[in-house]
Amino acid sequence: MPDLFSLQILIAGGLIGAAAGLLGSFALLRRMALVGDALSHVALPGIALALIFNLDPLLGAFVFLLLGTAGIWFIEHKTKLPVDTLVGIFFALALAIGALLASEEELLDALFGDITKLNQLEILSAVFISLAISLALILLSRRFTLTMISTDLARSTGLSPHRLEFVFLLIFALTVAVGIKFGGALLTGSLVVIPAATARNLTRSMNGYLALSVILGFASAVLGIFISVLYGFAPGPTFVLISGAIFFLSVFFRR
Amino acid sequence: MSILEVKNLKVSYNTSPVLEDISFSLDKGDALAVIGPNGSGKTTLFKAILGAIPYEGEIMVGSGARIGYVPQKLDLERDLPITVREFLLLRRQSKTPDVHSPAEVLNLVGLKEDFLKKKLGDLSSGEFQRVLVAFALIDRPELLLFDEPTASVDIAGQETVYELLNRLQKTEGLTLLLISHELSVVYRYANKVLCLNHAQICFGVPYEVLTPEELAKLYGGGKFYQHEAH
Repeated sequence: MPDLFSLQILIAGGLIGAAAGLLGSFALLRRMALVGDALSHVALPGIALALIFNLDPLLGAFVFLLLGTAGIWFIEHKTKLPVDTLVGIFFALALAIGALLASEEELLDALFGDITKLNQLEILSAVFISLAISLALILLSRRFTLTMISTDLARSTGLSPHRLEFVFLLIFALTVAVGIKFGGALLTGSLVVIPAATARNLTRSMNGYLALSVILGFASAVLGIFISVLYGFAPGPTFVLISGAIFFLSVFFRR
Repeated sequence: MSILEVKNLKVSYNTSPVLEDISFSLDKGDALAVIGPNGSGKTTLFKAILGAIPYEGEIMVGSGARIGYVPQKLDLERDLPITVREFLLLRRQSKTPDVHSPAEVLNLVGLKEDFLKKKLGDLSSGEFQRVLVAFALIDRPELLLFDEPTASVDIAGQETVYELLNRLQKTEGLTLLLISHELSVVYRYANKVLCLNHAQICFGVPYEVLTPEELAKLYGGGKFYQHEAH
C-alpha cells in the first residue's frame, strides 16, 4: 500500500507527464521535437551554478532556460537559421558548460533526475506549475495549432505568429524546468516527445490527439514511477522505457 | 465607396524594392485580377494587405472589413491529426457573431457535409483548395484574397474554382483579389486588372488596359500575346 508521500509523488509525476504530453502535441505539429532536448541541456549550467551558490536548482534552471529560449527565438528570427541547427549548437554548448561546472555526483543527478527525491514544497510547486502549463495550453490551443500549421494563415486571421511562438517557447521552458526533476537533462525531452508521437500515430482528430497525449503522458509517468519505486529503478529511465514501448506498439496501429 | 485603397505602396526586402509606386482602389463587389511574371511581387502585395510584412505608403481597408486569405499552397504533413471541421474552427477566434457554421461554409464551396469528419491530410488537392476557401470564408469576410496555384487543381467536370469564386462574389457580396497566371481567367472573371512587375505597369478594366503593348512590357517579348491570339 503506497503511503501518502508516494501518492503525492505519483500525482506530481502524472501531472508533469500530462503537461509535457500536451505541450509535445503542439511541438510535434511543427517538428520542434528536439527543442525539449536542447532546453533541458540548457538548464544544466543553471542547475550547476545554483548548486555552487546554494540556490534552488529549479530557479537556476529556469533562469538559464529563459535565456536559452530567448536566445533561440531571437537568433532564429534574426538569421532565419532552422531551429534544429540552433538547438544542436545550444545543446552542446550548455552541456559542456554544465559538465565543467558541476561535480560528478551532482552531474549524474542533474542528467537523469529523480522525482522521488522531491521535498514537499517542490511537489506542491510541480503540481501547481504543471496545472498552469496545461491550462495555458488549453486556452491558447486554437491559436497555437493554427500558428504551427501555417504562419501565413495565422497572420490572415489577425494573429501574431512571432509573438505566439515566443509565448510557446516560454511555456516550453517552464515545462522543461518542472520536468527536469523527473527526467533530468538527458531524458526530459522524452516527456515531451514520446507521448505526443504515440498519440499522433493513433488519432485522426486534433481533439483526440491532444487528449490522448495528455492521457499517455499521465499514465506512463504514473506507471513509470510506480514500477521504479517497486523495483528500485530510476524513475526517469523507467518512464522512457514504458512510453517508448507503447510508442513502438502504436506504430502497428497507425491510422 | 472604396473597400480597399492602396496609395504609393512600397515594400523592400533588405534594401532592394520588391514593390514600388503601387496605387489602386477597389469598390465593394469588384473582382481584381493581379497579373505579372513570376517574382514580380504579386504574393508580396497580398502579404502587405494582410499586414504580414512591413511596408511604406498607405493601405486602407474599409472600416471593420474582414479579410479572408487563400494561400497558393500550404505544406501540410499528410499525417497531421486534424479533421476538416476542426481546421475550419481554428479560424473562428474572432468574436464576430455573424459567422458561418462549418457545415454551411462547406456547402458554399460545393463540398458535402460528410467532409467535416475527414482528415485534412486525406483530401485531394482540389478538395483541399476548396477547404482553404471555406476557411477563408467562415467568418464572412468582405474581402477575399485568392492566390492561384501554379498548376490547376480543379476536378474535371466540376465547377472550377473560378466559377466558385464568381458565384460566391455574388451570393456573399465579396470583393475579390485574385492572383492569376491565366489571361483567360482575367477576361472572364475580373472587372479590374492590376499588372505588376515590381512597379505598377497598368491598372484598369481588362479590355481597355491589356493591350499587346502593355503585355509585352509586362512579360517581355510577345509570348503572351501569341498565346492570346487563338
